[in-house]
Amino acid sequence: MRFTDEELMRKVQEGFIVESEADMTETYKKALITQLTVQGDTELMSAPAYFMAAKDAPSTNTMVSATAIIQDEMGHANIAYRLLEDLGVDRDELLYERPAKKFKNPYGFDQPLVNWAELVTANGLYDRAGITLLGDVHRHTSYGPLKRGLVKVGMEENFHLRHGEVWMRRLCEAGGEAREMVQHSVDWMFPMGVEWFGMPDEKKHHNAQLDFKLKGMTNDQLRQTWLKAVVPLCDELSIDVPAHVKPDTEEVELEFEFPVQYDPGAKRWLFDEPITWDEVWDRWRARGPMNEQFVDWMRVSRYSVEGLLEA
Amino acid sequence: MTLVQLERRAARGAESASLEQGMNFAAVLAESRGEAHPLPAPPAWESPPADLAERAHRALYEVSDPEFPISLVDLGLIYDVAADESTGGVTVSLTFTATACPCTDFIKWDVRERLLAEPGIDTVEIEVVWDPPWSTARVTERGRGILERAGIALIT
Repeated sequence: MRFTDEELMRKVQEGFIVESEADMTETYKKALITQLTVQGDTELMSAPAYFMAAKDAPSTNTMVSATAIIQDEMGHANIAYRLLEDLGVDRDELLYERPAKKFKNPYGFDQPLVNWAELVTANGLYDRAGITLLGDVHRHTSYGPLKRGLVKVGMEENFHLRHGEVWMRRLCEAGGEAREMVQHSVDWMFPMGVEWFGMPDEKKHHNAQLDFKLKGMTNDQLRQTWLKAVVPLCDELSIDVPAHVKPDTEEVELEFEFPVQYDPGAKRWLFDEPITWDEVWDRWRARGPMNEQFVDWMRVSRYSVEGLLEA
Repeated sequence: MTLVQLERRAARGAESASLEQGMNFAAVLAESRGEAHPLPAPPAWESPPADLAERAHRALYEVSDPEFPISLVDLGLIYDVAADESTGGVTVSLTFTATACPCTDFIKWDVRERLLAEPGIDTVEIEVVWDPPWSTARVTERGRGILERAGIALIT
């Protein structure tokens, strides 16, 4: 170790870029490994969720777009896992032996996506969350290999976002049932997105990711960035969301007591049931309905094909 | 991803400054919504367009590839632009970087939308051409510079 935690914190705040383990401290490395695991797992577990809904694509051409997005996400996951390998993490163990419950993807990707409207709304809302988070990491991270790896990710995520927003608009303009499906998707995915950014700053006292410049913005700042994009989009599409832009400050204000309880079976938020962050953590740890199955989908062919090869 | 022959340049150290400039994450964050791509400005034309076809062709410098911050013209996708001044009809012959391009609809929508915004253009026909096929050799000199600044090098 060349530096103490305090020295490294000061150096990265002054613009020092960490290139290898020799530049890290144990605390830095641990925080980086956690961040990359969340990043890789989120990209990876978006794939089965999107795949589930891509089967509902309205044409061959749109199916190609949807599956291209899935392929991109797998590639993005690979970038994160590849970086983890450089830090001595066993990728095989991570992907194939870890219990499904230990995957660190957000609760939103433990939920089933059942139709085209849900897929494109997920592209519009969740990929926007991804761009918000990873865009901040790209701009601020003190870890050089990650900063470079995120260039390709950013360009591709832009297409996913565009795919989502353009299709949300097309469905809304079609009116009738198509518009209702978008509204229904937003109803359950919007609060999911608000929760995506984690605990409010006032409850989070110490943050190694910020101290070591593994990211630049706080949870609340990132959440606000996302809200400032998503709420005006929904307003423009005349899709109702429980939030509004405050005219004087242009900040977005939620119209519900956050956080609240979620009923995954009914895909419904219980807005009259505010909960504590401990209870949110309990719900996240219990995992959503598709967690096991999505991890299984990712693993099953490997085991079945391996069995054939060994027979 | 669509451009199978494109690969991210292994940029290190000093190059991270240029990566930052070419990066469109930053732009997405800065503007909360709207243009996802900070498409470079079209070339500075020395003279006004000679005719409607040329005007339409120049307008296509403002249409970005859906994934990379480069215009369809600089990427080499536009093969021909023909126009009938009397009817305001424009026909664009274009190709895609691959038959399995995931963005074909998006590209066609964008071309149509941009051209219909041009005064004097009332109808737009798009003809997809596969022969000759696209290759990296079709990317313009200007386009190569744009891609490099975005952290992408062409493999030829």
